[in-house]
Amino acid sequence: MNTRHTHLVKVHDLSIAFPGVRNPDPVPVVKNIEFGIRDGEILGLIGNSGSGKTMTAMAIAGLLPDSARIISGRISFAGENLLTMNRRRRRMMLGSDIGVIFQEPSTALDPLCKVGKSLDEILECHGNKDRADRRAKILAILSMVGFTDPEDIYIRYPHQLSGGQRQRVLIAGAALLSPKLLICDEPTSSLDTVTTVAILALLKDICHRLHMTVLFISHDLSAVRNFCDRVIVMRGGEIVDRDSAEEMLSHPHSGYTAELLTNARLDPRTLGLTRASVDYSSSPILTARHLAARYDNSAKTVLSDINLDIYPHEILGLIGSSGCGKTTLSKTVLGLIPHTGSITCTGGRIGAVFQDPVSCLNPAHSVMWHLKEPLIAARKRMSSRDMKIRIEKALTDVGLGSEYLTRLPSALSGGQRQRVAIAMCLILEPFVIMADEPFSSLDASSASEILKLLTRINREKGTSIVLITHNIHIVRQICPRVIVMDRGSVCEEGLTSEVLQNPQSEALCNLLNAERRLHGDNH
Amino acid sequence: MRSRAFYITGGILLGICVTAFIMSLVCLPYDPNATDASAKLVAPCASHIFGTDNFGRDVFSRVLSASKYTIFISFAGIAIALVLGVATGLPAGYFGGFTDKSIMLFNNSIMCFPGILLALVAVAVFGASMFNVIWALGLVFAPTFARVCRAGTMEIKERGYILHARVTGVKPVRIMAAHILPNLLPQLLPATVIGLANMTLFESGMSYLGLGVQPPDASFGKMLADSQSYLMTSPWLLVFPSLMLIFYILGLYFLSEGLRVSLSSGGAM
Repeated sequence: MNTRHTHLVKVHDLSIAFPGVRNPDPVPVVKNIEFGIRDGEILGLIGNSGSGKTMTAMAIAGLLPDSARIISGRISFAGENLLTMNRRRRRMMLGSDIGVIFQEPSTALDPLCKVGKSLDEILECHGNKDRADRRAKILAILSMVGFTDPEDIYIRYPHQLSGGQRQRVLIAGAALLSPKLLICDEPTSSLDTVTTVAILALLKDICHRLHMTVLFISHDLSAVRNFCDRVIVMRGGEIVDRDSAEEMLSHPHSGYTAELLTNARLDPRTLGLTRASVDYSSSPILTARHLAARYDNSAKTVLSDINLDIYPHEILGLIGSSGCGKTTLSKTVLGLIPHTGSITCTGGRIGAVFQDPVSCLNPAHSVMWHLKEPLIAARKRMSSRDMKIRIEKALTDVGLGSEYLTRLPSALSGGQRQRVAIAMCLILEPFVIMADEPFSSLDASSASEILKLLTRINREKGTSIVLITHNIHIVRQICPRVIVMDRGSVCEEGLTSEVLQNPQSEALCNLLNAERRLHGDNH
Repeated sequence: MRSRAFYITGGILLGICVTAFIMSLVCLPYDPNATDASAKLVAPCASHIFGTDNFGRDVFSRVLSASKYTIFISFAGIAIALVLGVATGLPAGYFGGFTDKSIMLFNNSIMCFPGILLALVAVAVFGASMFNVIWALGLVFAPTFARVCRAGTMEIKERGYILHARVTGVKPVRIMAAHILPNLLPQLLPATVIGLANMTLFESGMSYLGLGVQPPDASFGKMLADSQSYLMTSPWLLVFPSLMLIFYILGLYFLSEGLRVSLSSGGAM
């Protein structure tokens, strides 16, 4: 027990800034922070985007971008000061003493290297010259991270693996040399609930077996609650709160943590969300029958025999694990993918909000151009004055001022981009909006704002919304009706309360189990 | 910082060529085609700073005049190549399928042959003149731009903002022109500048073989061909046109490298 309280890492008075040529004296992005990571513990680091979490972790790993400068402080690792250590020694520590798992499993593996070769390189770099021994070690670690056939994974390319499998390979790579400290930078944020639960369980097991200390960065508070021993909350480069995970997340000390928790729960009651009332006896405004779709040059059908009805004013939940065909269905309804079967709509346009706020705006054009474009495309005959009024109104509707009109997408945050995307969709007054995971790549505060906005649009304008999401909790609260998809077809459909109470399909049972394990029963 | 050094070097070299181009239009010291039997093969001196050739023509005036033709041909040729390349590459990448296959079949068949050979055949068949050189070079260079456009379009058309535009009912032609094309500039700009340099080399090669700009008008290739017989006795006939050609091509390469560095690092130009 004694070792439990010795600190493996101690960060003392650390400040990081990005000095530029024009700005030699910049405001630090991390300001005089102090914390320690005890030997063997799992420390969570939470906060919104831009709060300095990743910068702090990268400073410990020695992977700060070239433009960043540590302007004060010291970081000691097992008693040695990392900041005064020579570069070679520091580099040798990476992998053997400090392991890092990055956010995006799809880009963290070299697409031209087979899994075995990627992992082999790590061992070779750290001095293991025995080829047979390296191979044996890699196969052992691959089976440790849960691959039942490690020989098969050894010879596969990254593109032949799913997101969850890639993340397992990355964990295997990080754990290969049994580092003392493992830094996980949002390792589950791009994974669905079922995979997230599996990956967290795996991480916990590996850390326990290999006696690793973990610094876990996340904006997923449920993951932090279930995974971490202690939590530090950061805001604007400063530490605002710290305590044991259970204590902090049930009784937050600071107002900011409390707000973060409320937002993270995306709880319709605390967010004050109310939706429009739906009359299911009326006839549907959009009907799809026997929809089937496949991608070019592929024999595999991604959608088969789907029937879909969307009623006026409703928010329809569409759930399912990754790769089950939710996004394909929304694209098919939008007419973006060739399909067989019929789609009949009685209203006007169908609008769309996509998942990724980074790619949804054209980097070459301003916000004004983006909002004008749908009007030009729809051949709306109006004077430039009327057009400007309409554009400003659409922007105000999504909670942005007219000062944003001249900005380029690069000058907007993720949440603001998503708002502009919604304004582009609203400006043509659609009768249905296909919202494809509109908040899954946003932090908790922005996500709750977007959720509020969508329900307000539904309430005030009566627009129907098809909400594609991984978050069953939101569906339970705001969608009166839900569709569950599995392997390209609808496996359950009906009133949310009934479907989620009595899951019939294996897919829904898995989703609900994962949800329960990740978020507990407090929802 | 690295791109700045490229811009400065390229700018100085191209500045010399552009000055020559402007001078050729407004103030030539002598008529570049006027012969003077009394002043054959005069070495560089105060009255003829680059000397004279075997017909007594002023080399300085001829170098200025040649830079005019070279710059004009390379720009006009690249404009034709760009228009053809963009007009075929964008739809090939955007629509895919049969459109892509047929357009790329045509492009690939042009690329099968060495470019200079095709251009030479075209000029030999239709006659050696400056305008035939321009369109022949434009046609030969177009597939390169088509490939750049096609590859970029295939990647960009899957992005969210293109899907958004399609959902809001924007027509394909407008999607290609207003949504995709501006985002292709980081790839197209360096390719265009390199294309200019390569086109200049092609044009000089053709003139060297006598199929480019026709005598008595001056062109770098022809001047180099003519200087061969006097290589030992009158080296200025070779040195000055070569230097100008080197400045122009090297300047373009530096400029394209600068563009590539600054555009790929995402910084402003």
